[in-house]
Amino acid sequence: MLYRGMYDCLLSQAVFSLSGKVIAMEGTPKNRIMDEDGIRRAISRISHEIVEKNKGTDKLVLIGIRTRGVPLAERIKKRIAEFENVQLPIGLLDITLYRDDLSTIDVQPVIHETKVPFSIEGKTVILVDDVLFTGRTARAALDALIDLGRPQKIQLAVLIDRGHRELPIRADYVGKNVPTSSREIISVCLEETDGTEEVLLLEKS
Amino acid sequence: MLWIKNVNLVDPTQGLSGVRDVVVRDGIISAIQERLQEQDVLAVLGTARIEEVQQIDGSGKYLFSGLIDVHVHLREPGQEDKEDIRSGSRAAVRGGFTSILAMANTSPVIDQRALVEFVRIQGQRAGMARVYPIAAVTKGFKGLELVEMMDMRDGGAVGFSDDGKGIQNAEMMRLALEYAKLTGCPIISHCEDNDLAGNGVMRRGEESARLGLRGIPASAESVMVARDVLLAGETGGKIHIAHVSTKESVQIIRAAKNIGIDVTAEVNPHHLLLTDKDVTLTGTSFKVNPPLPSMEDQEALLQGLADGTIDMLATDHAPHTWEEKAKPFAEAPFGINALETALAAVWQGLVVKGLLSPEQVVKLWSLNPARRFGLAGGTIQVGSAADMVLFDPLYKEMITAESLESKAQNTPFLGKEMQGFPVMTWVNGELLMENRKILDRK
Amino acid sequence: MKWKRKDLLDLENLTAEEIKHILHTAIPMKEILGRPIKKLPTLRGKSVVLLFYESSTRTRTSFENAAKILGADTTNFSVAQSSVNKGESLLDTAKTLQAMNVDLVIVRHSSSGSAEFLADILNAGVINGGDGQHAHPTQALLDYFTIQDHLGGFEGKKVVIVGDILHSRVARSNVVGLKKLGAEVTLVGPPTLLPPEMKYLGVKISHHLDQELPGADAVMALRLQLERQQSGLFPSIREYSKLYGLNKERIKLTGKDTIVMHPGPMNRGVEIASDLADSVQSVIEEQVTNGVAVRMALIYLLIGGGTVNVVD
Repeated sequence: MLYRGMYDCLLSQAVFSLSGKVIAMEGTPKNRIMDEDGIRRAISRISHEIVEKNKGTDKLVLIGIRTRGVPLAERIKKRIAEFENVQLPIGLLDITLYRDDLSTIDVQPVIHETKVPFSIEGKTVILVDDVLFTGRTARAALDALIDLGRPQKIQLAVLIDRGHRELPIRADYVGKNVPTSSREIISVCLEETDGTEEVLLLEKS
Repeated sequence: MLWIKNVNLVDPTQGLSGVRDVVVRDGIISAIQERLQEQDVLAVLGTARIEEVQQIDGSGKYLFSGLIDVHVHLREPGQEDKEDIRSGSRAAVRGGFTSILAMANTSPVIDQRALVEFVRIQGQRAGMARVYPIAAVTKGFKGLELVEMMDMRDGGAVGFSDDGKGIQNAEMMRLALEYAKLTGCPIISHCEDNDLAGNGVMRRGEESARLGLRGIPASAESVMVARDVLLAGETGGKIHIAHVSTKESVQIIRAAKNIGIDVTAEVNPHHLLLTDKDVTLTGTSFKVNPPLPSMEDQEALLQGLADGTIDMLATDHAPHTWEEKAKPFAEAPFGINALETALAAVWQGLVVKGLLSPEQVVKLWSLNPARRFGLAGGTIQVGSAADMVLFDPLYKEMITAESLESKAQNTPFLGKEMQGFPVMTWVNGELLMENRKILDRK
Repeated sequence: MKWKRKDLLDLENLTAEEIKHILHTAIPMKEILGRPIKKLPTLRGKSVVLLFYESSTRTRTSFENAAKILGADTTNFSVAQSSVNKGESLLDTAKTLQAMNVDLVIVRHSSSGSAEFLADILNAGVINGGDGQHAHPTQALLDYFTIQDHLGGFEGKKVVIVGDILHSRVARSNVVGLKKLGAEVTLVGPPTLLPPEMKYLGVKISHHLDQELPGADAVMALRLQLERQQSGLFPSIREYSKLYGLNKERIKLTGKDTIVMHPGPMNRGVEIASDLADSVQSVIEEQVTNGVAVRMALIYLLIGGGTVNVVD
């Protein structure tokens, strides 16, 4: 079951690293870092931290970075609704057009829609993504956000921080810190996008 | 002195098509017989020294009377960047042509005797194919006044034509046909109604619609063919229809011949071998006037050739510089460079496929042109001048810009390998081309 | 899917999948057009040359906007202010652009095939912004985007195109792609402007507009070049308008909420009446907006990285 799940998850992920190379979809599973419960607990904790750090939900908006930041943002919204009884505005961001490696990558990425159906002017934006790695995606997301308006604050929430930053960027909320080597791949699988619920550590093959 | 052995001699005037030996002395055919012996040849040539006789093994090859092309554009005077009389007559010899008729649409137009003489003398200077000038019908091609036809004929003109432009005014054409009777020369008509042709650049039809190129309807030619044969009938003048390219033109010419009108007609190889389907937006070597025909037109042209409605083949050799043709289709000039590829194209496209016999080729491209325009040549018989072509049906050649003697390279066959080429050409008994190379005189 | 083309010259060689990919990419681009800050860093440092030999403020502006929003630098190489007037050939202009190492050339030219001519010479990508009577692929694509937006798709949709089909690159390109996408197209116009050879397109040809309108989901009027009257192609604007002009009354014949399209610029009162052009059924202004989005998508696909160096 474990391996079946991994296989489905890997198949559904065409992962492009921002450092310029297409990461092979094949990888040897080494370790399961989080299971369904682990992910649920991490989301729950991040949700509480967001409310706590911002002293409530006033001016808070959630924006998920495509692809897996989107379901994560939705879960955070749902969780906060459960304990704060507010429905935070939620948007989704496609950062492709802001990538700094378009001219060097082999396969041109498909552009998806950015949907932020509210003004972010003066708001506290919680950017949500699955993995924080080099920081380049977050950088692109910051640029994309600022083109949409002038928020008062932007905070970053990620499920996994695997280190190896190439830019001065850090997350405000982290589900789990996972020290990795550069030969390893972190693969986040979510029910909405991949059909399973787990985080895997893979060895590049 | 020349002795060609065991060659397949094709000469429709004598109804001859078989293996013969041919002996030439002082530029004149001296003997044609089967399997001549050395002593017979020496006797005919009046010499005892066999080493003075050039001996050529003709086995597997054809010997034709030199081809006569009644429709070439040599561009001199005035447009020598495209071609000149020297380069064009060299290209002719390389293509198997021993006589060519040079069209008058030069700059200036050949509308005075001095210009006719200039073309003729430049032809003699080049010393290659015989160059016969065609004079304009109207001064400056303006369609308003006739040229001095008799004076020009005396200067060497063998026909009259405003080719490159149709004579739009019917009365002008009627007068030309009437007056030209004095000269005995035919009027060569470029049949094109300017209003119908409009700004068209290819044959009007589904292909022109698809490419978004302006079309020239077939009627732009055919209505003029009808007009001109009627005028020839009425005046009793001689008309030759240049570059027939439509089904209706063939039908009209057939009907005109049936009622005794003095009309002849030519067809260009490209109209027999290519169609409007071959036209592409960047293929300016396929841009020609009249434009490449539809399939249906092409079938009618072949039928017209087969039944004698069309009397001759002619290249309409129309060289243009590379820069002029390196343009979007609509902006490039009309014209195909043809002298050096036409025979190979006809051979592999029609003869090999059984659509035309070698005898017909000689008749259509040598005998009939000679007869219509009153020229020497058109036959290989004892006593005639040795204008001859040795043709190798197996010879293969890649058509490249470098290999062409013509200054221009606007041929649809550029970069293609073709088969069936002349390997020797004699004019007046003198060998001017051997193994596809012009023999330069010292 | 992978985008592999260097150029967009016409729609003949494009697959339905490729057309849909362009339309799909245009959706996020349209969202960007609605933002207060319409500027992206995507094509920073890329140079786009607008080579316009025919005056066309609309198309040129649309392309220029599209390129600029994506962050590219644009240069106008238009006929009035360049060596074109001094008689430089298209070949030499192409060589000049090649030497300048530009990334993309958008060309509009009165000769059919001029875009292909340039594409054969240039390493840069080439977008055909309209060549003679041959093709105008970006206009067709923006029309598809508009149709898709309103009708939800193409399969089984009836599109009527009315006007001077013979001289229209818009009509040619539109039909080619609409067929691939599964729409049912009918062409309507007087016999002089819709002659028999247009049957090569393989769609229904008719000379009677009122007979073709019932059931139409989209009706597109083409601009009538008024000077064609002098060439004798139609007797008068009055008669043309009576037979082929769209108006509010006539469009009711469709029996549907038909959308009304026009590539612009309109001759109001000739091929389309003002009452219809400004009605809720008219999507003419949306076509203009969608034009920028579709052109952004194309420019991104052609020079937005990934496969720009792939030679096809």
